[in-house]
Amino acid sequence: MTPRNDAGGRARRRAVAWVTAAGLVAALVAGLVVAVSPRRPATAQEGAAVTVQKAHAGSATPAFKKRIVLLTIGSDSGAPKFGRGGSMESGRADALQLVVLDAAKRRGAVLSFPRDSYVPIPGHGTNKINAAMAFGGPPLLVATFERLTGLTIDYYALTSFDGLTDMVDKVGGVQVNVDMNLRDHFAGAFLDKGRRKLTGRQALAYARARKTLPGGDFDRSRHQGQLLLSGLGTFQRQVAENPARVMTWLGVLRDEVRTDVPFPELLRLALLATKVPPSGFRNLPVPGAAGMAGGASVVHLQPSAYSLFARIRAGKLS
Amino acid sequence: MVAYGAPEQTSSWNLVIVPARSEPGRRLAVVAGLLAALLVAAGCTSGGRSESGGQATGSTAAPAAPAQPLEVELVATAKVPPGGLSAKRAAQRAAPGLEKFLDRYLTEAYVDAAGGKADWNGLLGLFDTPVRASARKQLDALSLGAAAPTVSALRPSRASARAVVLYGAQRPEAATVRLAFDATADTGQGSGQVHLRSVLQLLASGEGWRIAAFDSRTGPPR
Repeated sequence: MTPRNDAGGRARRRAVAWVTAAGLVAALVAGLVVAVSPRRPATAQEGAAVTVQKAHAGSATPAFKKRIVLLTIGSDSGAPKFGRGGSMESGRADALQLVVLDAAKRRGAVLSFPRDSYVPIPGHGTNKINAAMAFGGPPLLVATFERLTGLTIDYYALTSFDGLTDMVDKVGGVQVNVDMNLRDHFAGAFLDKGRRKLTGRQALAYARARKTLPGGDFDRSRHQGQLLLSGLGTFQRQVAENPARVMTWLGVLRDEVRTDVPFPELLRLALLATKVPPSGFRNLPVPGAAGMAGGASVVHLQPSAYSLFARIRAGKLS
Repeated sequence: MVAYGAPEQTSSWNLVIVPARSEPGRRLAVVAGLLAALLVAAGCTSGGRSESGGQATGSTAAPAAPAQPLEVELVATAKVPPGGLSAKRAAQRAAPGLEKFLDRYLTEAYVDAAGGKADWNGLLGLFDTPVRASARKQLDALSLGAAAPTVSALRPSRASARAVVLYGAQRPEAATVRLAFDATADTGQGSGQVHLRSVLQLLASGEGWRIAAFDSRTGPPR
């Protein structure tokens, strides 16, 4: 092989190497483009994009055909954080709301009972209604309410000062339309009128304030009903923003509330509650008049209270 | 991940189930593989061989992808009672059952529904009784619905879910699941994308998970 031929061979090899390198780079670029480009489905008829299904949207929550009646109870016992010993069930029921829900029409009423309502208690004569739980626990309180109102109570839910404050704090506070300026040292309620987000302790104080309120026990029970509906509104707003908040609220209820609602039913009710506007509920303080019995101050329910119970029994919630 | 025997269930309906995985990591692997192949090819060429690369171009015309199982990628978190399992452990325990349920839901709502095979009773059986009637009326928002008879083949390209599980003392009790599902559906007129975005509120019963409430959208991608 001559030097000239040798030089020509080197030139050819160099040219082949350059072409190979250029081809390699081009192939790499093409490969990268293919690899990182959006994935296209490999269809039988590539390129023929058709609308297989039009857009549809739907939603549903559990359907209940019957009326649901729930007794919510706030006990004055079983709250170590507030120095209240004993068990919730053996305490006096100081907050008493009867929640009546027409599930089909998605509206209801919250009947707020003065705790000093002087009523017959099965097996215990006549006494303040809040004593019924101390006599016989939630079952006797339920029986007392059923006899008083003629309504069948499906479930009860019981909590304490600790339970209420923890519950409100765990869900991040509750939005309440405070309806009066409050300066109640006894309950620790110092709130200005207006819409505000209450902490657990503020919510408890709002529910307990009585002595400085113009309507006394009646205003207090009305505030308790208001707090309950404010909780419903807060729940709905949170779930609308993040549906998984249903699990948060159920977890809080499980930890802070004692109830005879079976869990599946509790979930269904919670899901139903996402669709029942608080404005569909009426907060109705049960009419009564202050009086005395055996030296104790009590509330005598008025005839209009029994008319109210009759209307509720007949399904007239508005 | 829970795999279902899709080929056996669907072969008579000519369904091809292709699991869609388009994660960046997989794309990088494709690039790396391509690079390695090119280097090998370059090495051959630089050796002076003169054959053209005709066979290589043919390799991109792959045969129909083999049927593979539908898989739901689930990310679960849990809320636990005080003194119970850790949240992480509870989520780990709940995840397999939830994955299985979601696999079954998508199989009933899409895979088995293609070709009009479904009578929807299997799907509706996954709903809690108080919501079942509503689900029956809103099948188009929950599944292939009325489009099912027109679809001959369905290839899932994404099935993912995020779940928040409420865990009880011993077992999961309820969960909120955000479910996303995309697929390519072949019809006599061509192919198109189908798409599901759902929030499912689930109840754990003795018979497994049931849908207690839903908020769901279907149709082509927006």
